[in-house]
Amino acid sequence: MKNALLMSVLIISAGCEAPPVNAGSDTRQNQHRGRIEGNVVVSSSTKGKVVVLLFDAARPPPPVGTGRPLNFTVISRETIFGSATAADVGPFTAPFTFSLVPAGSYLIRGFVDANDDFIPWYSVTAEVNRGDLGGAAVDPLTRANRDITVTVDADGNPSAVTDVPVAFSDAALVPVDRPVFEIPAGIVSVTLTNTPITLEVQSRAIDTALIKQSRPGFLVRFVDDDNDGVPDDANHDGSPEVWPRVFVRKIASNASVLLDENDLDKNGILDATGVDYEHINPQSGATIAADGQPDLVVLAAGFDVRDIASSLLDLNGKVKTTPTVVTSLKLIVQPRAIDASNPASAQVLKAVPSGKYAVTIMQSTGQTWRLPNELSPDFAERFSLPSIQSQSFVIEVP
Amino acid sequence: MKTRIRLSLLLALTVAPLAFADARVEARRHFKLGMSLVTAGNYDDGIVELLQAYWIKPHPSVLFNIAKAHDAAGRPGDALNYYRKYLDTNPPDAPVVRAAMERLEAALPKIEPKPEQPEKKPEPTGPAAGALDQATLEKLNALTDRLEKALARVEALPDTATPNSPVNTAVTADAPATSDDFGVPYEETVVAASRRAQSTLEAPNATTIITGDEIRATGLQSIPEILRRVPGAEVMTMGTSSANVSFRGFNQRIANKVLVLIDGRPEYQDFLGISLWPVIPIGIEEIERIEVIRGPGSALYGANAMLGIINIITRTPGTGAKGEFTAWGGNGNTAAGSYVASGGDALKYRASVGYQQSDKYSRDYAEDRADVQSTSPEPNLGLRSARANLTTFYAFNKDISISVSGGVNRMFTEVYAIGILRNFFLDGTSGYTKVDVTGGPLKLRLFWNHLDATSGPQYEPIGQRTLVNHLEANVFDGELFFQKEFQLGGTHLFGAGISGRLKRLGWDYMSALQQELHAAAFVQDEWHPIKAVSIVASYRVDRHPLLDNGQPGYAQSPRVSVNFIPTEGQAVRASFSTAFRQPTFLESYMDLRTPVPGVNGASVLTQGNRALKPERLISFEVGYRGEFFTRGISIDAALYWNIVSDLVVLSAVNQLPADQAFDQHSQSYLLGRSNFVNDPATYTARGGELGLTWNAMPGLDVRASAAVQQIVPNENIAVCGPCTQAPVAKLNAGFVYKTPVNVDLSADVSFVSSTVWVEREPLPSDPTQITSLQNNLGAYGVVNARIGYRFLNDKVSISVVGTQLAGAHQEHPFGNNISRRVFGLIKVTP
Repeated sequence: MKNALLMSVLIISAGCEAPPVNAGSDTRQNQHRGRIEGNVVVSSSTKGKVVVLLFDAARPPPPVGTGRPLNFTVISRETIFGSATAADVGPFTAPFTFSLVPAGSYLIRGFVDANDDFIPWYSVTAEVNRGDLGGAAVDPLTRANRDITVTVDADGNPSAVTDVPVAFSDAALVPVDRPVFEIPAGIVSVTLTNTPITLEVQSRAIDTALIKQSRPGFLVRFVDDDNDGVPDDANHDGSPEVWPRVFVRKIASNASVLLDENDLDKNGILDATGVDYEHINPQSGATIAADGQPDLVVLAAGFDVRDIASSLLDLNGKVKTTPTVVTSLKLIVQPRAIDASNPASAQVLKAVPSGKYAVTIMQSTGQTWRLPNELSPDFAERFSLPSIQSQSFVIEVP
Repeated sequence: MKTRIRLSLLLALTVAPLAFADARVEARRHFKLGMSLVTAGNYDDGIVELLQAYWIKPHPSVLFNIAKAHDAAGRPGDALNYYRKYLDTNPPDAPVVRAAMERLEAALPKIEPKPEQPEKKPEPTGPAAGALDQATLEKLNALTDRLEKALARVEALPDTATPNSPVNTAVTADAPATSDDFGVPYEETVVAASRRAQSTLEAPNATTIITGDEIRATGLQSIPEILRRVPGAEVMTMGTSSANVSFRGFNQRIANKVLVLIDGRPEYQDFLGISLWPVIPIGIEEIERIEVIRGPGSALYGANAMLGIINIITRTPGTGAKGEFTAWGGNGNTAAGSYVASGGDALKYRASVGYQQSDKYSRDYAEDRADVQSTSPEPNLGLRSARANLTTFYAFNKDISISVSGGVNRMFTEVYAIGILRNFFLDGTSGYTKVDVTGGPLKLRLFWNHLDATSGPQYEPIGQRTLVNHLEANVFDGELFFQKEFQLGGTHLFGAGISGRLKRLGWDYMSALQQELHAAAFVQDEWHPIKAVSIVASYRVDRHPLLDNGQPGYAQSPRVSVNFIPTEGQAVRASFSTAFRQPTFLESYMDLRTPVPGVNGASVLTQGNRALKPERLISFEVGYRGEFFTRGISIDAALYWNIVSDLVVLSAVNQLPADQAFDQHSQSYLLGRSNFVNDPATYTARGGELGLTWNAMPGLDVRASAAVQQIVPNENIAVCGPCTQAPVAKLNAGFVYKTPVNVDLSADVSFVSSTVWVEREPLPSDPTQITSLQNNLGAYGVVNARIGYRFLNDKVSISVVGTQLAGAHQEHPFGNNISRRVFGLIKVTP
């Protein structure tokens, strides 16, 4: 009896501890992540829902890089602007949080979706348009863009970064629509063989309920990063570098022309496994065997702006700091393929891989447009988007 | 003769302990043996066995058979004595008995009464008698004294109605008598299989009965844990209060293919399609028995009785101890107590109150994390229940009676949701009211089930939109059942019924309050063309408001079963049946935007589908049940072949049209939509179950079961979740031993083979990609044990109960880490 009582006391006294933490075999429960939270501050009369985007600092968004957002959050118009009138300029503030953020360095960008037309799932709707208000996480004193770093604690677990301000002001008002374009005369494909091809790229307005790009154009200017007034020629090919930039990238397959080759998950990062090609040593001409790593295949391409070069210079023959808006550009595509998986050391491929290639134009504002896209008749109906034949254009290599 | 009987009984009593592992099992063994001896003409020994059975557990039919044995032995006086005791129980065959008594009384005067002889101590005879020493003789004399006391107790039992068994099912003049009370004594009866009390040998399905004695001997306080002993049962414990139970495969988070009844009232929660065990407003101590039907039961019960039925039958009001107090406490902040009162004269009642709490086995996340926070009002709590229940019974006469019951339960429990969701809490109040009216062959049942609760994920990423919600569910049900026996080419037991059910659910996870009106009609005939053969034909048709592609439609559930009992205690069975599960409110009306973990501005839209077809099952089964009473062994074997189709599953996440991409309600972008759809694949599930029980010796019951199964798709599919999620092998073994020295022992061991769970998850590298991932779960074992001690004439017992003693493990990849729980338990029966 005494033993029984003793046992009971032991049992009861042992029963007061909290349950242990055990994540078991649940993958998600075994993840340790941090978070980033702060406030958006909008000082403008521009109103709409606020979209805040998180980027890997190593993969910044256009125009600096080609990174795509890792996370995004939405602050409703009512939450931040409440019952403010159209003329009120704020500042308006509201909290935001990025949940489940791994350790690392990040950039935060955002915009006020004044046109209420942002949809992150389609390339044709996933960027800012004219009238939207840009913003970024900036240093509160210097107003310079800042990296946000999620550190790890003593246990190796990511921590929380709090009180991050993300500022939006009229200085970042988006001035133009995206560089929506098409190849005139109803051309939906061209074939690249052994000789370069020249294409006229024409801007094209779209004005539908879901997509309003009523005044698209190309913001053309010479690149002058060293500010010496002379157009840069970073790749030393004898042609000055120019904004907008163009990328002609190989498409994954005929069945999925919206996907780039070796980026089937559409995250902007090369897949771990994928298609690999033989390279060539440009000096010796020797073949370099495929290395087993997926290649990012682009064709050598650029805009020929010789016809409008004078308009890109000021009276002193120096590079204009403001772009010139044009509605047509001449695109030259070379029959030369490059593996750009390492941008710092692009490799020439032995042959131009056969298949289809997409053309992407990127403005100096970071806005882009790609052909083919979801407006192609092959996809538009499925996504309830306007169907435009010219948006199915591809370059084919036999 | 009396001396001989007393001596035999004495010897039996000196061997038998005064406690029984399962009184019914032991009483039945003595009864069967006694009847076989009587049939063989060995009346005296047979009567001793019958007396033993009656002493262990009084039953009116035993009195009748003792009387008949005395009559056959030519002792009309003793026969009359027991016939009178039998008549006191208001048997249905009283006229026949009275006729027999008149015959005996007429014969009595012709018998020369023997002069009353003073009782003598039995004297040993035979060759060994002379060898007895004084000590042996003194011992025999002492034993004889005990014999007389024991016999006096036996003879006094019908009047006192206080057996030594904790459960007294004796029918007295005060108690309402039903036809069930006068069947074969101590027979394992099942009600759920055919909606009438019948022997498990006659049941058209594979059945397992777990008696209240058996449950209490284990000390277990969780019904799912008790169900592990059912051959083939799949018990998947997710947490302290969350367990999913299935039979013959197809278990899952939110197991929805087994119907759970409490005294015939469904505990099925229509909003989820799940039985929430903590919602049940009764305690373990109130359970008379649990009937488990392994296999389809839609032919009588309609929707949801697809893979089985668990019918929990509570103690009849007015029976058992007048008061019983139970309390237990142990690790995991386990604390509980209950009080059950039972009594009444004309109006009989059973009232109970209880409280129980217990922490989770484990927390999924620690506190103070940078990424995830608990959104549960009780982050450590796994179960809290404060309940009260009242059941009353009043018999106007032998044919007309009414029973009114009601219960309320203020509870906090866990529920593991589906899809990318995880562990939810459910904090609210449930209640029910039920009225049963019996009028001759008609039975009317009305009930109302109610649940009002706040629910939500137990953990959510910090900064993510919360999914905490509120729900209120009400179910109103009425059923009229008619039953009649008639002769036409044999005996027919005919039953027919109609029912209607109104369900109303308001839930934040649906766009609006929804309600459904269901109706059903069913008919069953059990035909015995000859005594050894029975053919059961059942048919039920259910009208469901959405079954015909979103319009009112009908589901038909036929069943045919043939039962052959070639010899006493042996039965073979073959059956064909169909069953269905209707889509739940969740599956028909859900309209939920689930945040995508790690993408704050994105959600997945999960929507119900009103055009779902019901899940379908076609089942073929053969079974054998054998009872070898002389050896105390019973065998239950079944082989089944099930074809399952139209399983309701979540579709892949399909991209939405651009004009629906932004959701104003949640102010988030919809990554896509996932609908509930019917799985185009069909599956074949085949397997076998074997159960063995052995009353090895007085006080010791041993039990073992094994089940194997295989589920295969009937078409080529890339990944077959139902196939890999069903454990191929399940084993269970255990014993209960009530020792002669008032120490009780019991242990259960279960083994479940490894499984692979196919669950939908966002990819860690890109949360916007939601795909099916395969999660391996290793084999695991479960050990539960109890040691107890009874004292103060069994009025008090103390026990130490250990559960999950085999080591920590998970029973689902997302579930708690199930670990050891030990608690002390005290039971007082004043």
